[in-house]
Amino acid sequence: MSLSAGLAEAVSEARVDPDYLRIEKVSKRFGSTTVLSDLDLAVGRGEFVSLLGPSGCGKTTLLRIVAGMLAPERGQVAVGGRNLTRVQTHRRNIGVVFQNYALFPHLTVAENIAFGLRAQRLPAALIGERVKEALAMVRLEDFADRRILALSGGQQQRVAVARATVVKPALLLLDEPFSSLDRKLRETMQIELRHLLRDLDITSIFVTHDQDEALVMSDRIAVMNAGRIEHLDTPARVYARPNSLFVMEFVGQSTRLGGTAAGGEHGSMAIDTGQGRLRAPGSFMAGSAVVLGIRPEAIELGEGPGDAFNTVRARLRDIVFFGARTMLYFEPANPADRILVDLARLPGGLAPGATVTLRWPVAETLVFPAP
Amino acid sequence: MIATPATPAAAPTKERRPFDPKALIVLPGIAYMALVFLIPVLRLVGDSLRGAEGFSLSGYDRVLGDPYYVQVILNSLQLGLVTTLGTLLLGYPAAMALSRAKGQWQVLLVALIFLPLTVSIIVKTFGLTIMMRRDGIVNWLLVNLYVIDRPIRLVFTEFALYFGMINVFLPLMILPLYSVMRMIDPRLGEAAASLGAGPARTFFRVTLPLTAPGIVAGVSLVFSIAVAAYVTPGLLIGDRFMTMSQVMAKAYLNLRDFQLGASMAMIMLAIALIVIFLATYLARMGVARDPPR
Amino acid sequence: MIARLALGFCWCMLALVLIFLFAPILIVVAVSFTESPIFAFPPTGFSLRWYGAIRNADGLIAAAWLSAQIALMATATSLVLGTLAAIAVVRRMVPAGEAVAAFMASPVMIPGLVLGIAMLQAARAFGLTDAYSTLLMAHVVVTMPFVMRTVLASLSLFNFDMVDAARTLGCSYPMALWRVLVPGILPGFMSGALFAFIASFDNYPVSIFLVNVRTKTLPIQLLNQVEISPDPTVAAVATLLILATVAALIACDRLVGLRRMASI
Ligand SMILES: Nc1ncnc2c1ncn2[C@@H]1O[C@H](COP(=O)(O)OP(=O)(O)OP(=O)(O)O)[C@@H](O)[C@H]1O
Ligand SMILES: [Mg+2]
Repeated sequence: MSLSAGLAEAVSEARVDPDYLRIEKVSKRFGSTTVLSDLDLAVGRGEFVSLLGPSGCGKTTLLRIVAGMLAPERGQVAVGGRNLTRVQTHRRNIGVVFQNYALFPHLTVAENIAFGLRAQRLPAALIGERVKEALAMVRLEDFADRRILALSGGQQQRVAVARATVVKPALLLLDEPFSSLDRKLRETMQIELRHLLRDLDITSIFVTHDQDEALVMSDRIAVMNAGRIEHLDTPARVYARPNSLFVMEFVGQSTRLGGTAAGGEHGSMAIDTGQGRLRAPGSFMAGSAVVLGIRPEAIELGEGPGDAFNTVRARLRDIVFFGARTMLYFEPANPADRILVDLARLPGGLAPGATVTLRWPVAETLVFPAP
Repeated sequence: MIATPATPAAAPTKERRPFDPKALIVLPGIAYMALVFLIPVLRLVGDSLRGAEGFSLSGYDRVLGDPYYVQVILNSLQLGLVTTLGTLLLGYPAAMALSRAKGQWQVLLVALIFLPLTVSIIVKTFGLTIMMRRDGIVNWLLVNLYVIDRPIRLVFTEFALYFGMINVFLPLMILPLYSVMRMIDPRLGEAAASLGAGPARTFFRVTLPLTAPGIVAGVSLVFSIAVAAYVTPGLLIGDRFMTMSQVMAKAYLNLRDFQLGASMAMIMLAIALIVIFLATYLARMGVARDPPR
Repeated sequence: MIARLALGFCWCMLALVLIFLFAPILIVVAVSFTESPIFAFPPTGFSLRWYGAIRNADGLIAAAWLSAQIALMATATSLVLGTLAAIAVVRRMVPAGEAVAAFMASPVMIPGLVLGIAMLQAARAFGLTDAYSTLLMAHVVVTMPFVMRTVLASLSLFNFDMVDAARTLGCSYPMALWRVLVPGILPGFMSGALFAFIASFDNYPVSIFLVNVRTKTLPIQLLNQVEISPDPTVAAVATLLILATVAALIACDRLVGLRRMASI
């Protein structure tokens, strides 16, 4: 999450105009399927917001509505206070980097980048200058006269970014721009793109279904589900304090235990699970079905030193080594449950089959109503 | 040039779409083709089923019950068959060589095979009649090769007919064969040979099955067109060899016997469509048996 | 060793086939430059008199002019109708798009004479007596399959996101179509148009039923001439036609590249 170093800065800027992009009550249906229902989203000026969600949840549809390529049934879109609902795509000044880049194969790299500037009828000298700058910015100076089809995937991606940003758009939309790159290249490009957009100070919405990508790059993450934004917050808070079971399951991994609320007081309650009675912050009606979630880093091995911890015993099933970290998988009493622990260092002598005591702070126990 | 219609490759979406007024752009084309193409063809089907008073199969009866017209149908089938076989025997090795040509050469050679298709059939047939004259190049060659010792009459013989038909339709056989053969890895033959297969065995067990889709496409294309040929047989052999096309044209242009013409047309249409659908079926089966790698 | 021999045999066959295919065409060209009115082989003398004779030949120029008009208008019409339908099919605006495409391309499967007879009968039934308009209407049907196939193929390879990309870069919708869609499908368009034009210009079996004494297309007139008074004038016309075809192919190559056209 090193890239979020500029977070404080971005957030303070966003305060200057926290509603730079405003999406209000947008609904869209295709035939009988409702894809977006009363969706709201506000993005601050200069912010980089990731739109994260499962395939088919309507991310592309939302981007197309913002860019004006698709009309919503209801709701409105405004950028910088200007209502765009009735403005045509080519007058919105919104840049788009398409999922498959949609570069023009009949033009060279330089002509692709110049396309938007030519459409604005800028003087040729100025166009040449701006194209040169853009080529330098994405380090493709030597490729100006190449055909698009003679470029590698990463180079095409950079051309697409240059083409969309050279016109200085009021807002940049990126639809899974890295999905066709291999992992190594993708990681380099993530950092490169983030720096580039920060230098250009362009407000961006970045669609992805890769949660790691979203966590690494974003100022804020918007998790989409069932046609709405389910949670919009900084990566750290979305991860640590997910709004819903869906968000918890979609972003990162976690232990999951089903149970029944058994009453409690002072914002703390008891819950009966397959692993015994546990405690969690919050208050649910006694008898209601709930689900507990615990992030794997919150759990430690060994007895808890007191009241502030939940403690369970479970049999170790698997040890999976990830390099910097090690993940332990346990056998829950209830097969629908899941218990996993993420350790920085594996204690000696621990082997599958052993029964282990686990503990985690009550305060880090997440509770959601059962679906 | 292959007889299967192109289909769009766009990603299919299963959802039902709402009616989009832009879809109306399909209407002018459909309406035009329905009015100017479909209705006339259906009316022709109707004509073939109409006698002096109302519905009757007497048109077909007249054609299929008359030994003369049966012979005409057989002549057409023979014409299609011999032309197809001739083009296949000549075209198969030629297409094989074509598919092995290197780079630019291949492009050039394919263009050369294709070029005659852009020349009018009438022009080519005219050239063939000149070649076939008593003092023409074919006789000159035959005499100089000591095949015959005196020029003979060639025009209006079956030799001239098949010589000309094969000439006119050969590219339609070579191009589909070639388009399949160039996809085949030439090392397959070597691999078979290295496994101890003799050349004949390699050909019948490896090469021939692999090129079967091309053969099916070429054979069906050439046959369905040759069976209905009109210009080339008319000029090269004339009334000595009556084909269905000849009878149809006569029925409409000279005899004004619409029932005869329509029935003949329907039989010809049926033959052409059967061949094409059979080929499509065979191609589908081939695809189902060994999916593309 | 035997494999070598077999390949050598294939090469010989290819050479023979090429000679065989070009023989009648080259003969016609050669004959058009001879002096004598009979076609002896080998040809003797050289003259351009048969080209001069074209002007006096009965109706050849008028027929060529008529054929060019019909082919041009039929091609243009089917390009418009076919492209609109192809867009609807490729963008999946209509149900059963594949059936629509197959229907529009199906006249190529119907023997030409059958098509011609069907249209003759229909024209009579609907009281259409004008040969010119009947020919034009029929030739749209003749050209449609060629247009449909090539335009469908190139449209289905076209990425429609490019149109949206152009719009986000400041092009209005019609402008985006012009700057992006048209260059993208131009090769397909050109080869479709070329095939369609040739198919119409050379068509004999459909036209034969629709022409009348005053309105004759070039193939009809040429065949007449070949049957009645075959002299090298016909060869001269044929040579000019071949030249025109080659010129058209070269022009297409210059414009969009034959390789791109052929790949559609
Ligand atoms: N033009 C359309 N007509 C009908 N349904 C559509 C259309 N476009 C999208 N859909 C449907 O709307 C839903 C959302 O699609 P969308 O493309 O927005 O998903 P997405 O979140 O971008 O998914 P992915 O991550 O796979 O790109 C899907 O169920 C899709 O099938
Ligand atoms: Mg998408």
